[in-house]
Amino acid sequence: MTETAIAHPAGDGRPVSPSAGAPAGTPPALELAGVHKAFDGKPALIDAGFTLRRGEVHALVGENGAGKSTLMNVATGVYAADAGRELVDGELVRIRGPVDAAAAGLGMVHQHFRLVPRFTVAENVRLALGRRAGSPAAAAALVAAKAEEIGFPVRPDARVADLSVAERQRAEILKVLLLGARVLILDEPTAVLTEQESDALLAFTARLAAQGGSVVLITHKLREVAARADRVTVMRQGRTVLDGAPIASVTPAEVARLAVGATVAPVARPRRAPGGPALTVEGLSHRREDGGVTLDGLTLALREGEVLGLAGVGGNGQSELVACLAGLATPRAGSVALAGRDVTMASPAARRDLGLRVVPADRFAFGLVRGFTVADNLALAALRRGRYGSPLGVARRRIRRDAEAAIRDHEIHGATPGRSTGLLSGGNAQKVLLARELDDAVRVLVAHSPTRGLDVRAAQAVQAAIAAAAERGVACLLISEDLEELMALSARIAVINRGRIVGEMPVEEASAAALGALMVGHA
Amino acid sequence: MLDGLVITRRFDTPAWLSALVFLAGIAAGLAMATALLVAIGVPASALFDEVIGEAFMTASGLAQTLTFATPLICVGLSAAVALRLRFWNIGIEGQLWLGALGATAVALGDFGPEATRLPLMLLAAALAGAAWIALPLVLKLRLGVNEVITTLLLGSIAFLFAQHLLFGAWRDPATGFPISLAFDASERLAALGFGRTHLGLPIALAAALLVWFLVDVTRLGFYGRAVGENIEAARAAGVPVIAVTCAFVLLSGALSGLAGGLIVAGTEHRMSLTLGAGYTFSGIVIAFLGRFRPLATVVVAVIIGGVFTASDVFKVFYGISEAVVVLLQGLVLFGVLVAQFFGAYRISRANWGTTP
Repeated sequence: MTETAIAHPAGDGRPVSPSAGAPAGTPPALELAGVHKAFDGKPALIDAGFTLRRGEVHALVGENGAGKSTLMNVATGVYAADAGRELVDGELVRIRGPVDAAAAGLGMVHQHFRLVPRFTVAENVRLALGRRAGSPAAAAALVAAKAEEIGFPVRPDARVADLSVAERQRAEILKVLLLGARVLILDEPTAVLTEQESDALLAFTARLAAQGGSVVLITHKLREVAARADRVTVMRQGRTVLDGAPIASVTPAEVARLAVGATVAPVARPRRAPGGPALTVEGLSHRREDGGVTLDGLTLALREGEVLGLAGVGGNGQSELVACLAGLATPRAGSVALAGRDVTMASPAARRDLGLRVVPADRFAFGLVRGFTVADNLALAALRRGRYGSPLGVARRRIRRDAEAAIRDHEIHGATPGRSTGLLSGGNAQKVLLARELDDAVRVLVAHSPTRGLDVRAAQAVQAAIAAAAERGVACLLISEDLEELMALSARIAVINRGRIVGEMPVEEASAAALGALMVGHA
Repeated sequence: MLDGLVITRRFDTPAWLSALVFLAGIAAGLAMATALLVAIGVPASALFDEVIGEAFMTASGLAQTLTFATPLICVGLSAAVALRLRFWNIGIEGQLWLGALGATAVALGDFGPEATRLPLMLLAAALAGAAWIALPLVLKLRLGVNEVITTLLLGSIAFLFAQHLLFGAWRDPATGFPISLAFDASERLAALGFGRTHLGLPIALAAALLVWFLVDVTRLGFYGRAVGENIEAARAAGVPVIAVTCAFVLLSGALSGLAGGLIVAGTEHRMSLTLGAGYTFSGIVIAFLGRFRPLATVVVAVIIGGVFTASDVFKVFYGISEAVVVLLQGLVLFGVLVAQFFGAYRISRANWGTTP
C-alpha cells in the first residue's frame, strides 16, 4: 500500500478535483442524516450520514458489519430506520419499500440479485415494470435499447439461469435503470467479477455519472474502485467516520486506517519443510449432469506442512474439484488418495476419518447448518468419533464447554454456544467453520475462497489460522481467485484453467502477470 | 398508524417468551373457535360446560378423551418424526390403514399362540405402516421423487385396498356389511377399567417416551436435526444421511401403522371402513402444535382428543357437522402459527423523518 494520493488514470477524461458532479447550489441527489438503526437492541447505525451529489461516483467504504449495506437498505426502504431523515433532491422523503424507492429514483443492486432464474432478461424486466413494460416484444425492445444506450451487451431473450454472474449483474443493473433509477447503488459489485469484468463495470459507472446519474459503490476494497470514484465516505461500527471526502485528498492507507481503526499486519508465509505425500490427485475428470466438462484430467500432489495455492478464474472447475475431494461428487475417471490410501469412491465420513477437512466457498451450502446453534455446528463432525458420548446419548455439557473454548480461542465475535449460526456475520460464521475443520485430527485442509467477502481483520484471522495449521504439519490446498492471498501464503502456486492444471511454479518465481496469463490463456 | 412501527428480527428468543407466545396463540385460536361455535348457534354458556366440563372434568368424558387421544398420540408422533427431517408424510392415513389391515390379518388368521397374538398384531401393524412408507422413501432417495405426492396417493390406494378386502374376502358373512368378523377376546387390548380406555394408552405413552429418547437424547436424533436443516452440510460433516433418513421415515410409518393397530385391537375390535378418516390432518396439526417435540405431542393429542369428545356432544345436541370439527383444529393451529411471529420479531416505534 503506498502513501501517495490516488490519481485517476490519465487520459480517461474524468475530473479529479472535488468539483466533480453538479454545480454548487444544486441539492444533493441523496442525503441521509442522523440515521439510527438497531437490530434487536444491537446498534447497526449510530447517527450515520451520507451525501451523494448529482453526477458523481461515490465510494462507500467500510469493513463487514460497518453498516454500509444497512445504510443503503434504509435509504431504499428495505429496512425501516429507528430515527433519522432522508432527502432526495432536497425534498424530505419517506421510503417504505421498493415501490417508493423506484418512484424516488433510487435503485439498488444487491449482492444477491433479485432476478427470477427461470425467466429471460426481458421477462424479469416485465415482472419489475408491470404494465409500463408493455407486450413481451415491447419489453424486449426496451431492454435492447437500454443495453445499447449504456453500452452493456445484454441479450433480452437469454434465460437468467444460463447467464454468467457478470451478465446477471448487467441484467439487474439494466432492470434497475429501466425502473427509473437516477441514483444507482451497487452493493459489493466487484466481489463476484474477474478483473476485466470489474474494469468494464467501473467504466460504465463513470459513463453513467458523466451523463448526470449518481452512483454509490459499496465496497470494502477501496483500491478496486478508487480510480473511478470521485468521493469517498468511510463507515466504521455504524458511524460515518469520513463524510464525502474528495478521493484525491486521501490516501488508501488513511482510508484503511479509518475503516479498520488500526492497521493489520500481513500474515507470514509458513516456513516448514514439506513432509510426505498427503493428498494425491491423478487424472481427475468430472462432468456436470448436462454433460459439460468441469474437470479434465486434473493432477496435483500436496505434501504435509505445505500450502499449495490453486489460482484460477472462478468456474474453471474449482467447485467440482472441492466436491470430488470432499466425496460429495463422483468423478468419471482418475483417483484421489489421502496419505497414499485411495479414497476415490470413499464416503465423506471415511475421508474425514483419514483427516480430510473442507471449507467450501459457500459456507452455508455444505459447511454449516444455518439453523443450528454455534455449539451444535462445532460438534456435528466430531460426534461420530465418539468425542461427545456414545450413540445412545449426546454429551451436551461437553459440547457447550468445547464451544465456549472455541469461541474464545478463535475470537468468534457475537457468538455464544446457544446462538443460531445464521445470525453471525460472514467472517464470524467462517471462523466457526474453520474452528470445526481445523481440529486435532486434521491432516489435509481444502479451503475454497476462505476469505472471500470477509473484511480485513476477519480475512487476516482466517489466513493466520491456515498458516498456523501448515506450521503444525497440515497439508493445505488453498483455492482462491485472490492472487495476493495466494502469493502471501503458498509455497507453490498451480493454475487451474478449464478443469486442468495448466502450470505450476514456486512462489518465488510467481508473479501476478505470469499467473494471470495462465489463468486466462487457452492452453 | 403502522408507519411508526419497526419490525426487527430477534437474535435470541428467551424461553419465557416462547412459552408466552405459544399460550397466547392457543388462547387466540380458542377465542376464534368460540366465536365460530357461537356464530353457528351453540350458546356461549354451554361452551365451557361442554368443552372443559364434558371433555376433561367428568369421568366418562375424560375416559372418552383419552380413548380418542390414544391413536392421536401415535399419528402426532408420526408426523413430528417425519417433519423433523423435512419429510412431508401426507400419507399418515394410508399407513394407518395398512397398520389396521396388518393387525386384522394376524387376528383373523389366528397366527401364533394366543399368548403372543396381541404383540404379533401390533408388530404386524407397525411393520405394515413402515412398509407402506418405504416405497415413497425409496423413490425419494433413489430418484428424487417428491414424497408429498407419493405418500398422499398411497393413502388413497391403502383405503381402496381396505375396501377390496372388506367387500371381498373379509366381509362379514352374516350381515354382508363391509366389516370384518369381531376379534376374539385374546385379540383385544385389555380395558383399563376406566371408560373405554384400553392398554393402547400406555403403549402410546411408551412409544412417545421411546421417540423422545431417540430424537432428543441419542446421536441419531442430533443427526436427524442436521439432515432436516441442511442435508448437504450433514453429508459433508460425515453424517450417515441415508441411514438417518431411513430410520426417521420408517419410524414415522411404523407409528402410523401402530395407530391403526391400536384402533382395531383397542376400540373397534374389528376392521371397518370408517376408522381411519381424518388422521393425517390431525397428526400434522398435533405435530405443529407440539413443535415436533415428542412429549409435547402427548399433551396436545389429549387436548385434541378433548375437542373430539366435545364435538361428539355438539354433533348430538346442536347438529354441527364433522367439517366444523376440522375447522376448530385448524383455527387453533392458525392461532399458534401466527403467534410465533411475535416470538421471532420485535416491534418498536420509529422516529423517522424528524430533524436529528
